[in-house]
Order: sequence, then structure tokens, then C-alpha cells
Amino acid sequence: MSDLSIEVQEVDGAAVLLPAGFINAHTVRDFEEAMEALVKAGRYTILLDCRHLTYISSAGLGAIMGLIETVREHGGDILLSNLQANVYAIFDTLGFTQLYRVFGDQAQALAAIQPQRQA
Amino acid sequence: MDHAQFRLVIPSQTRYLNLVTGLAKRAALVAGMDDAAAAKVSIAVDEAVTNIILHAYHGEGDHSVELELRFTSAALEIHILHSGQGLRQDQVVLPDPKEYIRHPRKGGLGLLLMSRFMDEVRFGQDSGSGRNECCLIKKIS
Repeated sequence: MSDLSIEVQEVDGAAVLLPAGFINAHTVRDFEEAMEALVKAGRYTILLDCRHLTYISSAGLGAIMGLIETVREHGGDILLSNLQANVYAIFDTLGFTQLYRVFGDQAQALAAIQPQRQA
Repeated sequence: MDHAQFRLVIPSQTRYLNLVTGLAKRAALVAGMDDAAAAKVSIAVDEAVTNIILHAYHGEGDHSVELELRFTSAALEIHILHSGQGLRQDQVVLPDPKEYIRHPRKGGLGLLLMSRFMDEVRFGQDSGSGRNECCLIKKIS
């Protein structure tokens, strides 16, 4: 089994990225490329559904940080849902739960961005 | 046996990160920590080994990184030894998370995670071998 696999879904018109496994310095480039491909395609509102993400290191956080300004400059955002406890602890410890909108599940996150997608 | 220790030596390649973080997590559980504390030890070890591979060895994969795990009744100590560019304690500057959030950028978070998730993080030289060392200590509460 590979350390990381990434699925991209279109759900109710939103770009949903589902990483499964580990995001660390070894796998981060795959994660970055998946995020960058969405942004290049003009998808500036991205939901990271982390239900299958078991671990993220600072390399992964850096990849998200590297795109947050770009998507927000285009009126979009990066949202997070379904964070496992240890993944949430990493975001929370660094204060990133204040920087990103975090939702309990995908439906809540999609409901929150519905007005943006209708605009 | 009150005190035990063992060593693992890996090539300086990120493909082995998953191996060492898995080992660190299992070691923390064996030492008596709960899942949450063990996950934090695992992340701190990932960050420390990543820093060594990418910064001390500049991404060169033909070096080695040695991890020595020491179990005591009070703590788990993880000593990470390498022969790359060393980091001295007085060179360690932790980013301010609030400033980081105001001005998002890549990099600089690894040391912060290590310091937040471990009870003690020390950089220096191993007196025996002269190699550079990063020492991570997590107390068993």
C-alpha cells in the first residue's frame, strides 16, 4: 500500500479532495500537485475531506499554507472536514483552526460554501 | 529491566519516514503513553528526521540517521544522531504562531511542533561520537 493516495471528487459543484494515508516530506509533493492542479483549473474553493488522512506533518501544512493566499485572493477558500483527533491536534496546536474553517463532516462544509458556489 | 534502549539506523531518505514514525509511536505506547501522546511523539520524530534529511544532509540520500530509543521509568528519550550540518541550541528560533497566521508562508513549523509536542527538545553534539544530536524527551505521566 502506498503511503498516500488522493481522490478528487466533484460534489454539488464543489471540489473535494480526499487524501488517504500519510502526508509527510516523502508524500507531500503528490498532495501539493493535486492541490495546485485544482487551483490552476480555477477551482478556488477546495474542501479537504480528511476522513482517511491518518497523519500530516508540517510539510503538509506548508503545502496548504502555500496556496491559502492565492485561493482567497480569488474569493475562494480551503476548508477542512472530518479531521481525525491527531490531525486536528496538529492544526489546533499551531493555531491553524483559527485560520481555516473546520467542519465535523462534508455536508456541513458544503452547506457553508453553498452561497459562494451560487454567487 | 528498568532501563532499556535500542537503535535503528536508516538511510537519509524520506521514504523511511513512515517506518521511523511508526516505530516511535509503538515505542511511546510500550513506554506507557496513551494514543494521543504517542501520536505526538511520532510527529515530533517525523519533524526531527525530516529536518536532518532535508537541511543537515541537504536532501542527499547516501548518509545515515541513527535513532536511539531509551526507556526509563519516567520518560521516553529519543536521541537522533547524524553527521550532517549541525544545529546548535542557540540557533533555534521558534516562529510565533500568531504572526505565522497573519502572514502565511511555507516552512518553519517543524521545530514548533517538536517543541509543543515534546517535554524537552535539545540540540547539541554526542560526547562519545562527536556526531550532531537532536534529543527528544517525552515524560510518562
